[in-house]
Amino acid sequence: MRPTPLLLLFAVLTTGLWSCNDQCQETRVVKQMTPVTVSLMEIRRSLKTEAPRALEHPGKIYIKGNYLLINEIKKGLHVIDNSNPAAPRFVSFINIPGNGDMAVRDNILYADSYTDLVALDITDPTQPKEVGRVGEVFKNGQFEGAWWSYNESIGAINDQKVEYRTETISTNCEENPVMPGMWWGIGGAWRMMDVAFSSSAAPASAPGSSDGKGGSMARFALYNQFLYTVGQNNLHLFDISNPAKPASYSTVNIGWGIETIFPYKDKLFIGSSTGMYIYDNSNPSDPKQLSVFQHMMACDPVVVQDNVAYVTLRSGTTCRNAQNQLDLVDISDLSRPRLIKSYPMQNPHGLSINFPTLYLCEGQYGLKTFNVTDQFGVDKNLLSHMKEVDAYDVISLGKTLLMVGKDGFYQFDATNPRQLRQISKIPVGKSAI
Amino acid sequence: MKKLLSLFVVGVLTMGFATAQEGLFRRTYINHTELGGLFGRVKYRPYQGSDEVVENRLSLTLQTFNGLQLNPRLAAGLTTGLDWYTAALITPIAAGVRYDLTGKRNARLFATADAGYGLAWFHDDSEGYQTRGGMMLNPGLGLRLGRPEGAAFTITLSYKRQEASVTKPPLWDQTERYETRVYNRMCLRMGIAF
Repeated sequence: MRPTPLLLLFAVLTTGLWSCNDQCQETRVVKQMTPVTVSLMEIRRSLKTEAPRALEHPGKIYIKGNYLLINEIKKGLHVIDNSNPAAPRFVSFINIPGNGDMAVRDNILYADSYTDLVALDITDPTQPKEVGRVGEVFKNGQFEGAWWSYNESIGAINDQKVEYRTETISTNCEENPVMPGMWWGIGGAWRMMDVAFSSSAAPASAPGSSDGKGGSMARFALYNQFLYTVGQNNLHLFDISNPAKPASYSTVNIGWGIETIFPYKDKLFIGSSTGMYIYDNSNPSDPKQLSVFQHMMACDPVVVQDNVAYVTLRSGTTCRNAQNQLDLVDISDLSRPRLIKSYPMQNPHGLSINFPTLYLCEGQYGLKTFNVTDQFGVDKNLLSHMKEVDAYDVISLGKTLLMVGKDGFYQFDATNPRQLRQISKIPVGKSAI
Repeated sequence: MKKLLSLFVVGVLTMGFATAQEGLFRRTYINHTELGGLFGRVKYRPYQGSDEVVENRLSLTLQTFNGLQLNPRLAAGLTTGLDWYTAALITPIAAGVRYDLTGKRNARLFATADAGYGLAWFHDDSEGYQTRGGMMLNPGLGLRLGRPEGAAFTITLSYKRQEASVTKPPLWDQTERYETRVYNRMCLRMGIAF
């Protein structure tokens, strides 16, 4: 009886000691890019309306009346009938290759398709029709970090296909093991860069016409008879005095890393990876730069309310040293923006203001609601923090709040900002037809 | 693993109660506190295509077993402690037994086994990292030096398996990054029991 447990233990011990190696496996999901070339002819042919489909990689959101547009990154637009916010209904899917942004004036939808700007008549949202196209205006761009550029000599787009690959390596069980073949990635100066603007006040539109409303990550803006679009280093103006026939009007060079644009009153707020540019737009056909608010770090969306701009900075996935914060900037003197106060945040993305309530997307950390009446005590006035959602961009429509994240599209009743009530959700991967 | 563990705990308890019936034996409180090292190695490739590198690992371990001497041979109780692995400070909480294999002599061989869960409560993560603990198993043999009734000095040699996992901040082209760890160590400890 006695030797049995002893032998057993001995066996356990010896086999154990033989393999006294720490075994550590690091698993990572890597974004892999493969170059692809798509011809303009092919791109232009494939613009068509298709049957509604499920959300996969939702991007920006745009609202016009009872209709809602959700961008499927690089693929096209989901058209959703939102006349009953409790039960949004997919109407159609517009297949627009290389689409990332949109804007709507009256019944005309403007969307980018790689290098082209397309105008679609959406009077019948189930059957949008292409009515105009300005070809070869955008020279390059990026989706999810994958850059594309226009190759003029062959009339094609040099794009990169993004794939996610899971790889597993054995490590030395230390916190930051050596990266196979990518040491230069560590501490690199790469940052996620977006600056965007939005506001509770609808941007001025041409008399007698109605514009939709975009989120704070938008690169398209409507003002008077112009459509403003920002590219990587410039601002492009399209004359839309005849909405169905947009015409390229002029290009203003700004600087590198332009991300977003927002017109507020007769000013244009242009966000870049290094700061925010303020342009005087009293002559809409010829915006003039007034000032630049320079950041040390990359910055993210901005909202403007009267004399205060709310700017967020976010560290990218690659830049752990960048700050995550919310800055309040005094813009009463537009030629001299001044910092009011900085507040630390977790990972801010899009934001929206319905004064005095500020909605702030914190990425995987959810959605925060602040009362910003006290400019020096914003952190003390956190009204609510919804943690269980992924929040990318948000549009406040007063009583309702639209929010999009990796896991889907949400609508909230924001009558009481302390207690947001979910009205509906369109989850990714499922169509709520 | 979880099933096995609960079986072990139940087994320890029933064994204790079953054997506690025999003879005129009074249950006494027993403490066994030990300090030692966890010896191991790690093999890895520093970068793709390179030769394997072997490194030695030595971590400090501290543990204390508090239990009841259920019968002259068997003691069962709770083991807690601290294990300082290179990139994780783990606090195991485990069910433990000490079983005397050789009877009443001044130098006795005993078997020791602890099984439970290692927690990362006291581990201070770097920014962006999140370390979680995991299952822990620690069987071994020891030598107890001292009079049978009194306090004793112990030396134990055991095998320790500790699981852990870490969520790490993704690097520039990654969207997700995590590590699963299994610490396989030879464990040499010295301590006192009373």
